[in-house]
Amino acid sequence: MRGPTILKAEDDKTKQLNKSTLMAFSGEAGDTVQFAEFIQANIQLYSMRNDTELSPAAVANFVRGELARSLRSRSPYTVNLLLGGVDPISEKPHLYWLDYLASLAEVPYAAHGYAQYYCLSLLDKHHHPEISLDEGLKLLDMCTDELKRRLPIDFKGVLVKVVTKDGVQVVDFDNDKIVRPA
Amino acid sequence: MTSLMGHPSGQTVGYSFSQPTAAPVKEHSFYPYTDNGGSTLGITGSDFAILAGDTRSTSGYSINSRMVPKVFKIGGDDETGKGAHILLSVVGFAADGNALKERLDAVVKMYKYQHGKSMSVTACAQRLSTILYGKRFFPYYVHVILAGLDEEGKGALYSYDPVGSYEREECRAAGAASSLIMPFLDNQVKFKNQYVPGSGEGHALQPKKAEPLPRETVEQLVRDAFTSAVERHIEVGDNLQMMIITRDGIEEIFHPLKKD
Amino acid sequence: MNHSAFLRAMTDDHSNPSCPIKLAHGTTTLAFRFQGGIIVCTDSRATAGSWIASQTVKKVIPVSRLSRGEDKASDKPTPGLLGTMAGGAADCQYWLRYLSQQCTLHEIRHKRRITVAAASKILANLTYAYKGYGLSMGTMLAGMTPQEGPALYYIDSDGTRLPGNMFCVGSGQTFAYGVLDANYRYDLSEKEALDLGRRAILAAMHRDAYSGGFINCYHVKEEGWVHHGFDDMNPIFWKTKLDHGEFSNVTSQL
Repeated sequence: MRGPTILKAEDDKTKQLNKSTLMAFSGEAGDTVQFAEFIQANIQLYSMRNDTELSPAAVANFVRGELARSLRSRSPYTVNLLLGGVDPISEKPHLYWLDYLASLAEVPYAAHGYAQYYCLSLLDKHHHPEISLDEGLKLLDMCTDELKRRLPIDFKGVLVKVVTKDGVQVVDFDNDKIVRPA
Repeated sequence: MTSLMGHPSGQTVGYSFSQPTAAPVKEHSFYPYTDNGGSTLGITGSDFAILAGDTRSTSGYSINSRMVPKVFKIGGDDETGKGAHILLSVVGFAADGNALKERLDAVVKMYKYQHGKSMSVTACAQRLSTILYGKRFFPYYVHVILAGLDEEGKGALYSYDPVGSYEREECRAAGAASSLIMPFLDNQVKFKNQYVPGSGEGHALQPKKAEPLPRETVEQLVRDAFTSAVERHIEVGDNLQMMIITRDGIEEIFHPLKKD
Repeated sequence: MNHSAFLRAMTDDHSNPSCPIKLAHGTTTLAFRFQGGIIVCTDSRATAGSWIASQTVKKVIPVSRLSRGEDKASDKPTPGLLGTMAGGAADCQYWLRYLSQQCTLHEIRHKRRITVAAASKILANLTYAYKGYGLSMGTMLAGMTPQEGPALYYIDSDGTRLPGNMFCVGSGQTFAYGVLDANYRYDLSEKEALDLGRRAILAAMHRDAYSGGFINCYHVKEEGWVHHGFDDMNPIFWKTKLDHGEFSNVTSQL
């Protein structure tokens, strides 16, 4: 967005950091991509130098550290992040919630901005620890439906990526469904 | 060039508005409220109600008086309050509190003269709410608690916000130390977060059910609440005033508190 | 300084957190129409800033009853409308009581009960007349009349008046909407509808710090309204979590 204009309707707001870690970002225009690319490059550098992948937990703590460092600088990055990944050793999935003030929390589900107010209650109700990919996508459907229904701004849809132990895939998602208020 | 007034030429003397002659216009505002501190509290039992308050009156860090009662008898026959059957406690801005007390007292008296019977506590509680809301756009800066006995003879307690929203409760603390006293009351009167010992473990634990307490217990709770509040709040102290209403009438007890 | 600016300086804790007079605020209330009538649910918390002033507020207020007795839970329906309370507690209490008077007068004058449409219009005209004076209320009126069937209106202190099938009002509204929208159908059974209403309030209590306390539930049907409990949220939360595996963000791990 630039002022009241949408510049691009289908912008990828994610970056793959290594084989099985994906980072989604939002916030101040300019800051977001700069910061994401900086993180991506450093994680890739680590992988090359050490010939091993950092675990999602290690990535999350590295990102938090960089955000905290930036926060005390002359021009801090105003970027909110979600970091999802599968630990290459334990093969367990992890999700991290980070905000521009460098708060870090591991959570089973998360959202940033106004989406929190509409989706967290839904996720509280319908998420469970043994949730399957199919159920997860259905739950995501419920969330986007609610955003289409209630968010005062026109919601342009989502880009969906799934992280598994085998890497990151884009999932087909129907953004053209019309949702009517109850 | 000569100057008639002995001023160097080129300097204005102040008869012209070309230069500012006064300080920039300052907006003065009248602040009609002050907080006189202190705390009040009320608890009901099965056949009585207690209203209590400390007697200190402060403004800022100064103690203006050590004997300004905050609990009043409403609707009494004379200035001693004899024959009253309703209690009112007021904390906050003392001037507003006094005005409110006088007004409610008059209303309850007029009710008796006009209807030939005394006003019920329920009616008085609703009336007090309307009085407070009547000043919705220039509120009485007070937290009030009303106490009496209901139609069944049970203790009745009503608490209010400054503009008249009200609710019947079993216990309530108001004023400066309300945030210190209220959690104590929740635990000791309503038995919040208390469980029946040995009734289970974790989620199986049975919560302890709240029941009306005997008068001696309640009086001791009130004294404990205030002696503790005095230790941690500068606006509370000097004396504790307690009024107990039962079917036999109103009893007033004073109890010394620390004077520092 | 003008009148309403003065009042704002003294009482509005949003623009002036250190204002001298704290008013009760913050809430979640909801109401929705379904096949069996209207469900009305609320939380019970009143806050003044971050201080919890009360956990036992009755935010559902019966309106329009000739015999205005104590509000006891019973199976026998009580005729009349229900109003809900969000925003300034005193504003809602006072003006819903005023509305109650007007409804009673209507019953006396016209020998029949007022419609929900008419009652809500009285309140909306009132709030519109006071617009700009600093009233704060977001209220829903629910009732069933022979002329209208089940009727639900939303009225607020801006002067808005909207008829509708479903409303959530208060600081926890978005959380309640989330649960309600996803599981709402018009042909819900009575039990399903009551459970959904309760669950939506629970969701809001969990995520919105200004909501909490007890879950208050009412069902409006043809013969009148029925009270369905004023229940502590804590045991309900743990039962929901443990029996259905919901709220998986709450864990026993540190």
